[in-house]
Amino acid sequence: MEPYNSGGGVSSSSSASSSSSSSATSITQPQEMDGYLAEAGYNVRSSDLRHVAQRLERLENVMVNSHDDLAQFASDAVIYNPSDMASWVDSLLSASDFNAPDLDFADAIMTDPTAAFPADTWSDIPPPISTAAPPPMQNHQQITSFTAMEEDSGIRLVQLLVTCAESVQRGDLALAGSIIETMQALLTRVNTGCGIGKVAGYFIDALSRRVFTPQSVTSDGGSAHENELLYHYFYEACPYLKFAHFTANQAILEAFHGHDCVHVIDFNLMHGLQWPALIQALALRPGGPPLLRLTGIGPPSPDGRDSLREIGLRLAELARSVNVRFAFRGVAASRLEDVKPWMLQVSPKEAVAVNSIMQLHRLLGSDSTRIEMMLGWIRNLNPKIVTVVEQEADHNKPGFLERFTEALYYYSNMFDSLEACGAMQPDKTLAEMYIQREICNVVCCEGVARVERHEPLAKWRTRLEQAGFRPLHLGSNAYKQASMLLTLFSAEGYRVEEKEGCLTIGWHSRPLIAASAWQVMPLPEPTATATNPLGIVNHSANHV
Amino acid sequence: MQQSSPEENNIRGPQFCINDHIDIVVEVLKRLDGPSLGVAACVCRLWCSVARNDSLWEHLCFRHVSSPPPSSVRPVVVALGGYKRLYMVCVRPVLSRLSDSDLVRRVWTRDEVQLSLSLFCVDYYERRLGGGEASASSSLMFLCNPVNV
Repeated sequence: MEPYNSGGGVSSSSSASSSSSSSATSITQPQEMDGYLAEAGYNVRSSDLRHVAQRLERLENVMVNSHDDLAQFASDAVIYNPSDMASWVDSLLSASDFNAPDLDFADAIMTDPTAAFPADTWSDIPPPISTAAPPPMQNHQQITSFTAMEEDSGIRLVQLLVTCAESVQRGDLALAGSIIETMQALLTRVNTGCGIGKVAGYFIDALSRRVFTPQSVTSDGGSAHENELLYHYFYEACPYLKFAHFTANQAILEAFHGHDCVHVIDFNLMHGLQWPALIQALALRPGGPPLLRLTGIGPPSPDGRDSLREIGLRLAELARSVNVRFAFRGVAASRLEDVKPWMLQVSPKEAVAVNSIMQLHRLLGSDSTRIEMMLGWIRNLNPKIVTVVEQEADHNKPGFLERFTEALYYYSNMFDSLEACGAMQPDKTLAEMYIQREICNVVCCEGVARVERHEPLAKWRTRLEQAGFRPLHLGSNAYKQASMLLTLFSAEGYRVEEKEGCLTIGWHSRPLIAASAWQVMPLPEPTATATNPLGIVNHSANHV
Repeated sequence: MQQSSPEENNIRGPQFCINDHIDIVVEVLKRLDGPSLGVAACVCRLWCSVARNDSLWEHLCFRHVSSPPPSSVRPVVVALGGYKRLYMVCVRPVLSRLSDSDLVRRVWTRDEVQLSLSLFCVDYYERRLGGGEASASSSLMFLCNPVNV
């Protein structure tokens, strides 16, 4: 087949219109392929000729007006079936950043893809055909070039989100509601599978809960069992919790050096995923393992199961297999501040480690009494080490707008990092649900219900130092281990940084989780001070 | 090796059959890399049972370690599932991720050994936790994902 003859020339609008006029007179069945173009090797339905002609005209304008961009936009387009003229014209147009309306070429017949391409017509451009087998391309949105329209929508969404948050802060809920509706409409035109579309989706959802159904929001997003499950998926899907566990374990291991009786207090046991690695490391330490006691704090189980005890049994089984003497105790408490020191049964002869993975921020509130009390009694246990891992974000600001924009930035980074990890479904979706619960709490809840009161490391430093702790530098072993762990994750983009003895893990330039270790600063004598109103000093033998 | 008399040499070749000398088989298999050891296990039943011997895999795991691991490691690894599993689940993916792209035989550092053992322990624990909640050893699935170049 010749690429063209006098009747079927494709580049000039005059010949296109002549073929459309000829088809208008000869048309009997609208779905029939145009005869003239078919002779030339192109399959275009007669009814579509006018559309195609217009698109060709527009494409010609683009070609003429953008000399320097020709090669680039031509190579951006991926064309699967050159004889399907309508679709490749559209691909070229959308690659050149023109708005490509959803053309109704759904039934375009796929024919021989090796039909001759009129190379002479576009003589400046190498034919941008992909010779792969044509996929059943039904609509043109499969061409995922990031068009200017989508980028604008993303920016617009962020602007609307901030405006909505600002109106919520002002108390103008009616305006907030209408902005939410606008955003929901805008979401349909954006790719919500990744990037700004996905994050925006979660934040719009949270805002709409706050504005439309405030009574349905509770501080705990679901049952304890559900939370444990989502936590597990979050553990699997990205390295943050692994980093937290391994770094804390390394610090605890080093602090326990030389001690034969050790006691770890875990503020949030969950499935106890942190402890197998510590048990194994203690089993292999030179000089043999110590007697290890683990006290795990967790919420009470509603259905009569003693989930804490079950986890304890599993850990005991593991410890027994590797010959580590082990004892477990579970402390069920629905709030961390309900735990009292006597429940932990700390013995003066043992070296104590207190481990808090993203728990301390729950005690922050409008005043600092709860956190100060907790830090006070932790100090009175005289621990060898206190490991603290917290989100590196400032989500405890009183103003809603500031908090909202801070959270938007923080969780965008977190979602991006999750995307890059390449976790499989459904793990990834469930991990996202875990993050979504945090977002909802930060955005929707106030007062006592808001427990996700993250504060950055600098603020925790001040708090802990005021409470009588001094920083313990995480050594180079912890840093090396963290770096190795990150290398194993198949995503470039994670960063481990060391800052004044603390380690942070982040996504590109933004730290997201910070791990630090603390030891007790010895008080010289019992005095009543602002941070230690009862003047309590532990009189038991001080471990040096 | 049987010494055959010159007359017998004319009739048939030397009668050495490696399967009669399992110690030699073990010595040979000890020097193979992981995939080759797997292939060797498919040769015949005898080789299969030899290749299942965990000490071969122990040798494989720590062949490239700069200093030999302390003796306390073996009972721990055996308790957590054995060296073959350690190799398949942790050592092989960790080594392939951490090593340079050129296939130079590198020496394994103590830290990498320690990390592998920790990951192995988490794997054991998750399998014991098991049940319908999370798939077995899924926490190490990230090691199986192709590296995002």
